[in-house]
Amino acid sequence: MGEKMARAYDAIVIGAGHNGLCLAAYLQRAGLSTAVVERRHEEGGGVNTEEPVLPGYRHNMHAQFMEFFDVMPMIRDFGLEEIGLRTVMPEAQAGITFEDGRPPIILHRPDLLDRTHESIARYSKADADLYCELKQRAAKLEMLLATGLYNIPSQETQQQQALALAAVFGDLGISAYHATKTCKVIIDELFETDELRALLYRACVEWGFPVDDWGTAGGFLTFIMWTMANWKLVIGGTHGLAKAMMQACYREGVDLIENSSVERIVVEDGQAVGVVVRGEEIRANRLVASNADLRQTLLDLVGKDELSDLWVKRAEDYRYGPSHVLGTPVFCLYEPPSYRSARWDPEIDRCFYTVVGYDSAADMIRYIRDAYSGRMPEPGAGTWVNTIWDPTQAPPDRHAATGWYFLPVASALSAEEWADVRATFNDRFLEKWQRAAPNMTAGNVIAHRLYTPDQQEQKNLMREGDFSNGEFAPDQLGANRPFPEASNYRTEVAGLYLCGPSAYPGGGVHAACGYNAFKAIAEDLELPSPIDPARGY
Amino acid sequence: MRDAYDVIVIGAGHNGLTLGSYLARSGLDVLVLERRHEEGGGLCTEEVTQPGFLHNIHANYHTFVDLAPPVGDLEVRKHGVEYVRPEVQMASIYDDGTALTIHSDLEKTKASMARFSERDAETFGRLHTEAHGYIDLLLGTLMYQPPLSVKELTRALAAFGVEDRSEFLSVKLRRESINQFLDQHFENDKIKAHLAFHGAVCSYTNDVPGLAIGYPLLIGKIDNWHLCVGGSHRLAHALWRDLAQHGGTLVANAGVGRILVEGGRAVGVRLEDGTEIEARKAVASTVSVEQTFLEFLDAESVGEELTQRVKSDVKHKDWTLFSVHLAMNRLPEYEAAAFDPDVNRAWVVNLGYDSTRALDADWATIRSGQLPEPKPNAAVNSLYDPIDAPEGCYTGLLRQFAPFSFADGGAGAWERAGRWYGQRCVDAWTRYAPNLDGGIIEWAVDTPLDITRKLVNMPHGDWMMGEISLDNMLDQRPLPELGEYRTPVTGLYMAGSTQHPHGFITFGPGYNALQVMADDLGIEKWWQQI
Amino acid sequence: MSDIYTADWYEAVRDAINAKVGELPAKAVPEGAWHAVVEIVGDGASPYVGAEDTRRFLVRIENGMCDWYREIDTPNPDVSLDYRFTGPATVFDEIAAAQRDPVDAALDGTVKVRGDMRFLMRQAELVKVLLEAYTTSVDTEWPQGKPPYNGAAG
Ligand SMILES: Cc1cc2nc3c(=O)[nH]c(=O)nc-3n(C[C@H](O)[C@H](O)[C@H](O)COP(=O)(O)OP(=O)(O)OC[C@H]3O[C@@H](n4cnc5c(N)ncnc54)[C@H](O)[C@@H]3O)c2cc1C
Ligand SMILES: Cc1cc2nc3c(=O)[nH]c(=O)nc-3n(C[C@H](O)[C@H](O)[C@H](O)COP(=O)(O)OP(=O)(O)OC[C@H]3O[C@@H](n4cnc5c(N)ncnc54)[C@H](O)[C@@H]3O)c2cc1C
Repeated sequence: MGEKMARAYDAIVIGAGHNGLCLAAYLQRAGLSTAVVERRHEEGGGVNTEEPVLPGYRHNMHAQFMEFFDVMPMIRDFGLEEIGLRTVMPEAQAGITFEDGRPPIILHRPDLLDRTHESIARYSKADADLYCELKQRAAKLEMLLATGLYNIPSQETQQQQALALAAVFGDLGISAYHATKTCKVIIDELFETDELRALLYRACVEWGFPVDDWGTAGGFLTFIMWTMANWKLVIGGTHGLAKAMMQACYREGVDLIENSSVERIVVEDGQAVGVVVRGEEIRANRLVASNADLRQTLLDLVGKDELSDLWVKRAEDYRYGPSHVLGTPVFCLYEPPSYRSARWDPEIDRCFYTVVGYDSAADMIRYIRDAYSGRMPEPGAGTWVNTIWDPTQAPPDRHAATGWYFLPVASALSAEEWADVRATFNDRFLEKWQRAAPNMTAGNVIAHRLYTPDQQEQKNLMREGDFSNGEFAPDQLGANRPFPEASNYRTEVAGLYLCGPSAYPGGGVHAACGYNAFKAIAEDLELPSPIDPARGY
Repeated sequence: MRDAYDVIVIGAGHNGLTLGSYLARSGLDVLVLERRHEEGGGLCTEEVTQPGFLHNIHANYHTFVDLAPPVGDLEVRKHGVEYVRPEVQMASIYDDGTALTIHSDLEKTKASMARFSERDAETFGRLHTEAHGYIDLLLGTLMYQPPLSVKELTRALAAFGVEDRSEFLSVKLRRESINQFLDQHFENDKIKAHLAFHGAVCSYTNDVPGLAIGYPLLIGKIDNWHLCVGGSHRLAHALWRDLAQHGGTLVANAGVGRILVEGGRAVGVRLEDGTEIEARKAVASTVSVEQTFLEFLDAESVGEELTQRVKSDVKHKDWTLFSVHLAMNRLPEYEAAAFDPDVNRAWVVNLGYDSTRALDADWATIRSGQLPEPKPNAAVNSLYDPIDAPEGCYTGLLRQFAPFSFADGGAGAWERAGRWYGQRCVDAWTRYAPNLDGGIIEWAVDTPLDITRKLVNMPHGDWMMGEISLDNMLDQRPLPELGEYRTPVTGLYMAGSTQHPHGFITFGPGYNALQVMADDLGIEKWWQQI
Repeated sequence: MSDIYTADWYEAVRDAINAKVGELPAKAVPEGAWHAVVEIVGDGASPYVGAEDTRRFLVRIENGMCDWYREIDTPNPDVSLDYRFTGPATVFDEIAAAQRDPVDAALDGTVKVRGDMRFLMRQAELVKVLLEAYTTSVDTEWPQGKPPYNGAAG
């Protein structure tokens, strides 16, 4: 083997999650030689697609839908659609279906709001009217919300968003005061249809807003109503986004150092000057940024010796889960499910995301509360049959389906218990699936497999299986994320920045952590601002 | 994607990426289109058992490291690829508890062989030394150049009087099998079995007439087997990085469905989803001959005769590989370590073939569409790769020679047989290393049918993308009229493993097609620094 | 009689080669021009090349004939090269003294050949003639001793 030369870059980004890649692309474009160091053999972190069971059947092991596509700065700034990123926007977006063949509720994409109305109106015209009204008005919040997302958070932004509630929804009797409620309370107050409530509770936990936490309802009215059913699917699988980001990085000149776990961040005189990877030090002349989670970054990689007592305490107190903890079941199918509920509305059979296995809002709440409190819930899932909209994700005339189970945090169960969940839970869910969709017999399932939260943790170091790497709770959200002193992406170690979902705004595929970290760095190093005046952020 | 590029390369295996990179480095605007969601083709590393276990689904052994020009030209190591050359490269464990080990150190190999036959050990030493002497010439002549014909080669060998100068090279090798070659030079069955096995894992089946011609080259690199740290896919990443850092573009999830031809000239492609992309200068296909000439093109543009010949004359391997990927919490401890402790450090271990006859018998079984009694070869990459498994765990790989199609049930029967046969392969391994009982956390199989399903360019599970036989070699590969990388369609080139030299991670087809394209397109060959 | 590696000697080699090539039938001689570098690497044994030195001769062949040659002081002369032959000085000396066969030296890897092998193979007949001329046709003088050298390595 040849001698390794001492390597040096201006900037080192720890972790090739999509946030790390986003930051790296902007850094290199701003003239800093940049390397991304990733512990896995693949780039993308949670933006990941694999063939984990059978060849040709693609499954998104983590992120499924892209809800920030139209506002994500990197996509346009780096022409990702010119270098391979392609998407579709399914018509029927989010639905819920029932064993007894009751009508489904299907939320369609925004340009098909009349179909959404029709679907909800089967249960309640009032709910249909209100939902569509809220949805349309929330669209007006897009600029405000996107600007909020793609800027370093401040108390003012949050106040603006609360005030906007009144401005946008005031005549419906909704004001900033509603932001103090829980998601469940506000959903129950607004909508009378049990079935719709079930679907919307689920939407909240997907976003990471715990349904029972006070003070999170503002998130429902703003972010959820804005992004609900505005979802895109990446052709070939979500990983296509990571690939395009990676390629943009390469084209700028970024290096990726894969298969290389960062063991330590080198700090000299209070300044981050490099990282240690498998015993080798790689120098960072200007900065180090971390896409890894908060506790790992501060406590394991930097080390307590380089931190003040306050920062050590803050990092130790930082919590992971139970929000955003998912198990991913994958299924290889002959046919997509054909639901009993389809006799009311066949669109449910073409729906991008279909919630299966819950009979009522009460069922859904019980499920969520079980999972959040560390108990294995009764089976029920959100399901994705992406091949309906993108046939390349399975062999011809076959289908690849993936699902989401909200599950307890990784540490709630022992390794043996998780192994048991992997061995049994899919079969129990399949029983329910078949009741809702009679063709989902054992014979229709070519193969299946379940990835549990402990495995999500092993795979991407998503602590506790929490894909946001930090609980979504008011004290860890907005300008409090991960804790107030660290909420501007800077740390008390000079030259060390946070660019992962432990920072604002948290998990999700928006690349805002990376983009905003770049803004902070650009301020500190006097680099050109990435703000596009036409875009406004 | 934009709607026009200078050159479109179909397929992002190592050949497509290599060709694309050289062209991008030559200043061309290159698009590489890949049907799968990942680049690399056979350079595929996936966590098919559990997170953190990196399994090489296809290519595991990199045997042309530092022999193939692209490794240096495209700065593969600068891009982070780390190769390890295991000290104990290979072993054979025989049923009587004895074992043979091939080392990176020739003297150790000879010492191991001498335990079976001193004479063979000496012969092997001479063969190895001779082959090492001319390996560069052989590679330059036989691998990294557009092909000569057998006739030209024979003439040159005669003109240079090679036969008189060399103990092992001779013109009659072109009629002999590796078995015959071994019988002429070696006496011990077990040594011959190992050397024949070595040919077979390189796809040079030991009983096929004519393949002895390639055998000296195989011996010249018998101890050049390298492991790509972190999984073979890392090489694919490096090649992609090189392509993109030089302005090229890779687009995955973009299967090509048609090659667009105007006036006898390839002018672009149409993707399976209908998107059309223009190629201003050339299109290069690295996928199968069948796809290229029967699916992407029709008789109208390539002529009825060629279409017919592709249908009837393109030949595929008559055996393929069945793999088991294992997540393990201990290393195998072979009983044969009592005879030779180095077997426990051997990267690849042949389990049970102790004569060439035993191999031949299995070829016969396989060719008749039956499954042989498993005699898998076992590799534990974690012996030499510090990062391919979680702390305290190991990644294992069993490969078994197998038919693509069952006499009874066709290829589809693999769907049912896979798990069952996998268990039998695991059991076979455990017989030689009993401590593995209880040491295997999980395993997954990759059947011959899975190969074709994953890489549709490998029909019949043919991982060499064309039979390895003398009449499908050199300028005859895959058909005489396609043997020089050019096709009847102007501006359309064949640049994948269907071409000379053949499959394997050789970089040869892509590199050689590059030479021809450079001539045709007037590209300066900056890579040929003499 | 000319001293090894001197201008005279090369002149003589050239004339010998050209005479031999002139005898070949026209179709055995390819058209076109080629440039090759012969690199003679000092090995401590040959008195003609310093132990740390390398002597390089650039040769131009046109239509099979040796057009000109010159000693150069850089590994990368200003022409586009077709071949490079590199080997230890002793080996080259032995070849010139007809004590070692050049084809053997290439086969056993002591002389490394870089360039288009395909062409070399196709022109095997011509190459053989060139080599023969090089090794046997010139009456070489060895002012500082003739191989085999005492204690020379392989
Ligand atoms: C099951 C599931 C479903 C989801 N669905 C959606 C969805 O539909 N839509 C959506 O928008 N979001 C979804 N998400 C969330 C989204 O996937 C994540 O929030 C997002 O991918 C986080 O991106 P990131 O780049 O910040 O971090 P990550 O993707 O977590 O990347 C961090 C990277 O850092 C690496 N790393 C960590 N430590 C080190 C170290 N020491 N050295 C080197 N590298 C290191 C990791 O290996 C990883 O690659 C889902 C998540 C999960 C788990
Ligand atoms: C089980 C197995 C084990 C092996 N072990 C080894 C080993 O240890 N060592 C070794 O050297 N070799 C090994 N090989 C062989 C090696 O993997 C192949 O020979 C090599 O990958 C061929 O390289 P390639 O670039 O020519 O083609 P490939 O690597 O097959 O790449 C071709 C690419 O084209 C893509 N493609 C197909 N159709 C289309 C289309 N319509 N449009 C766009 N793209 C398309 C494919 O998806 C693929 O990515 C093994 C192969 C198998 C299957």
